[in-house]
Amino acid sequence: MKKLNNLLLKNSTFPILVALLCSAIFAGGHMFVKYGFGFFNEIAQAEMVRQGIQTGDFAAPVGFAAGFIIARVLEGPLVGILDIGGSLMTGVGTGFVSLFLASGLGFVVDNFLLSLLAGVGIGLVIGIIIIAVKKAMPSGMAASGTNIMMGAGNATGRYLGPLIILSAAKYSIPAGIGAIIGAAIFFKMKKEIVGGVIIGAMIFAVLFPVTVGG
Amino acid sequence: MLIIVIKSLIIGALGGLAVSAGAARMFHAPEVQAMGAFRTMGELNACKGDPIAHFTFGLGFFFNAAGSIVGSGALTQDVLHRIIPNWSAGVLLLKNKKVEETLYHPGSMAVVGAFVGAITVAALNSVASLIPANLSAIAQGILGPASAVMIETIMPIIFILAAIDAGKTTGVWGIVLGGISHVIMGNATPGAVLGIIIGQSIQDNGYNKSVKIMITIVVVLFALIGYFREFWANLLSIVTAAF
Repeated sequence: MKKLNNLLLKNSTFPILVALLCSAIFAGGHMFVKYGFGFFNEIAQAEMVRQGIQTGDFAAPVGFAAGFIIARVLEGPLVGILDIGGSLMTGVGTGFVSLFLASGLGFVVDNFLLSLLAGVGIGLVIGIIIIAVKKAMPSGMAASGTNIMMGAGNATGRYLGPLIILSAAKYSIPAGIGAIIGAAIFFKMKKEIVGGVIIGAMIFAVLFPVTVGG
Repeated sequence: MLIIVIKSLIIGALGGLAVSAGAARMFHAPEVQAMGAFRTMGELNACKGDPIAHFTFGLGFFFNAAGSIVGSGALTQDVLHRIIPNWSAGVLLLKNKKVEETLYHPGSMAVVGAFVGAITVAALNSVASLIPANLSAIAQGILGPASAVMIETIMPIIFILAAIDAGKTTGVWGIVLGGISHVIMGNATPGAVLGIIIGQSIQDNGYNKSVKIMITIVVVLFALIGYFREFWANLLSIVTAAF
């Protein structure tokens, strides 16, 4: 165990860890495309990919992810902690999976083994780039922009709860009422209201079925 | 069902191993390159030493993740950011309360993390796979329109406003790149994100070499995306029609 510890504290093993994590995240994309769940990201990013699959236009997820992966890979070696949310979950899980689907490499995502391997490859490259940047350590590319992006990212999260309440209200009267009750309970319990909104809307929509969109 | 569980166990083990080792490395950063997030480190520190605190903290997010995966298929970022690192730390701390000999050791965290990750991901994905089809149709009917508004309107606005609030230079870059990106790829968010990064770097360090490289990359990126989305062809036909 001591040997493993020392080995895993070396900078040279960092790309291997990134490769394994990317492998899991990319295969999460495989699960999502094939079964509709298992995506290692937030609801908004999952819907971006789902819209891409439905319309065939992946510009939104690819572009969105590109910004995050560039920012995080530059920031990671500067501060010593690579933010896996922006760089890997969004950059690889949303961006690269969408890129593969958009550019005729969809068979890689469709195949479990190939998706694991694709993740390993992408992760190795990202990990090596980060260690290389850390060694070279150029000054000047500030990490300060990421604070603003994080703030904006958190702000978008806040909008989702109220937005789903509105959407549930439009879907059917019971779903709307359920969403409101769920949100109120979760807010009172000091939890993120999104969870309560979805659960409340689902329960009421199932208990009181209404034919929608007639 | 069996195939889903097997795949989930493999995915969870790989991810859990890597993310737990990465989290342990955070306590040796910046000399050792780590991965995770600053908030993950803060939260791990907040319940440091107390296994119950780690378990309950993770459990709260586990319920959130379960709700999310049933509704939309998304595990949420919390699985890798919060649940697996905290539960791995909790398991290790049950035996030994000294964080220096448990949580800070990437080797031990990796081994425990692989098991924790496998079980967590398999449990969440199994819950999702047991949900009847009409239920997920309802979820889609409610979540689909909400996320469409989110992606097409709210996110671009928030990111452009964030750029504007960050000062004149960042604001201008955010507006211009955000606007161009909406024209070329139909969504302003990527452009606004790039505008924030470029604008902030200029505000902090001036037009140095790395900013110039960054701008070049963005211009090439936009030009290429414009080509693949037939933006240039459309623009050309509009201009030629006008003359």
